[in-house]
Amino acid sequence: MGSDTGDDAYSDIHLRALNCEVNPLTRSDGSAMLTQGETAVIASVYGPVEVKTQNLQIENATLDVCYRPKTGLPTITDRSRENVIKRICETAILTALHPRTSIVVVIQELENRSGLEACAVNAVCLALLNGGIAMKFTVAGVHSILKENDEIVLDPDSKESINALAHFTFVFDSLQRNVVAVNTQGKFNMAQYNDALTICRAASGKIFEFYREIISKRPV
Amino acid sequence: MSAVLVPGEAVSEIEEVAKTKKVVLGPGLRRTNDSVLACKAGVLCKKAPNMFWIDSYQRRYVPVRGECVLGVVTQKAGDIFRVDIGAHEQACLSYLAFEGATKKNRPDIQLGDLLYARLVVASRDLEPELVCVNSHGKKEKLGVLNDGFVFNCSINLVRKILNKNCPLLQALQREMPFEVAVGMNGRIWIKAKTMRETIAVGNAILATEFVSNDDIRKLCENIGNILFT
Repeated sequence: MGSDTGDDAYSDIHLRALNCEVNPLTRSDGSAMLTQGETAVIASVYGPVEVKTQNLQIENATLDVCYRPKTGLPTITDRSRENVIKRICETAILTALHPRTSIVVVIQELENRSGLEACAVNAVCLALLNGGIAMKFTVAGVHSILKENDEIVLDPDSKESINALAHFTFVFDSLQRNVVAVNTQGKFNMAQYNDALTICRAASGKIFEFYREIISKRPV
Repeated sequence: MSAVLVPGEAVSEIEEVAKTKKVVLGPGLRRTNDSVLACKAGVLCKKAPNMFWIDSYQRRYVPVRGECVLGVVTQKAGDIFRVDIGAHEQACLSYLAFEGATKKNRPDIQLGDLLYARLVVASRDLEPELVCVNSHGKKEKLGVLNDGFVFNCSINLVRKILNKNCPLLQALQREMPFEVAVGMNGRIWIKAKTMRETIAVGNAILATEFVSNDDIRKLCENIGNILFT
């Protein structure tokens, strides 16, 4: 990755504080608790494990993603998040290495103070890294909003995002920083979208740098 | 220590070596076209002159041919046993794969027995297969393990204590007599004279998970005092 990931390159990018606890769950194969500002998510990974016959794929591992909301049963929004994360994982994981198996990802929402989807994606990625699952690349989710004064705010807290005109959540890969997934909400024009994309892409480098930091701290 | 790698990263060090001679890529590395990419997160390790792999943290076992594992018999199906080795699939074990076993003289294996066995088939497309004999038909260290105590740990810990440079088991055996069987699937079986000693050995092994070899050597100097106070 090299020179563009030095500290100076990010001096004008302000993400909320990232904190990660590695393997908080003792019985899962890999887990991570990630907090971005006050948004917190626990993700855990089991796998490769035995697969149900109905989900069996001859060529690939089956991904089973389960999103648990803070309270109550999963709603339609939660199921849609679950599906988005499943698709993201499918592109990132080398599923062909473990045919006829299943990789189970469980995400537990702890606190939603805006940017939940991005935080969940990052937590899942850290859990996959901790679980020793073979991946093509890592992914980083970044959230931003469009404010009434036509300003793009990167990774806002819940107070800032109340009066937002639009929400953008981008997920980037670590290779070429290509967009893996986008989720937008609200009204905006193409120029504003491109602005948000540029800002979020720049910020994704900071998250990839954070992954590396977590891995190098982990004693092997 | 070498560099930390994240999945998707190209490893230029290997590409340099590959220009002049053949290289062997171990776990966590893969080749796409002309570049070598990491697919697991961890530390790049090298064995001179041309072997490379990534040492990554892992708890789930993925069967590898030739490794010794600890498994529990879960099913007797005709002429094979099904053995749980902690992988994604149960391994099979023929009743003829024991020392001195014939069609008339079946080995005495019960459901729930703990076995120390070697994997002879471990491919991602095939069911893993175990044997309890070596290529000369002798059982050596393999077979049913009676009594004792089993616990799980990470696969890194197993690799660490089986490493020749790790002084832990040698230091422990100076303190007390005990038997140990370490499965590459992250299961360890211990049998000592008393329950107290068994627990002491188990705790000593688990405590070394995140300790470097030098520190283990220091701890081992007065391991007897630590374990029994």
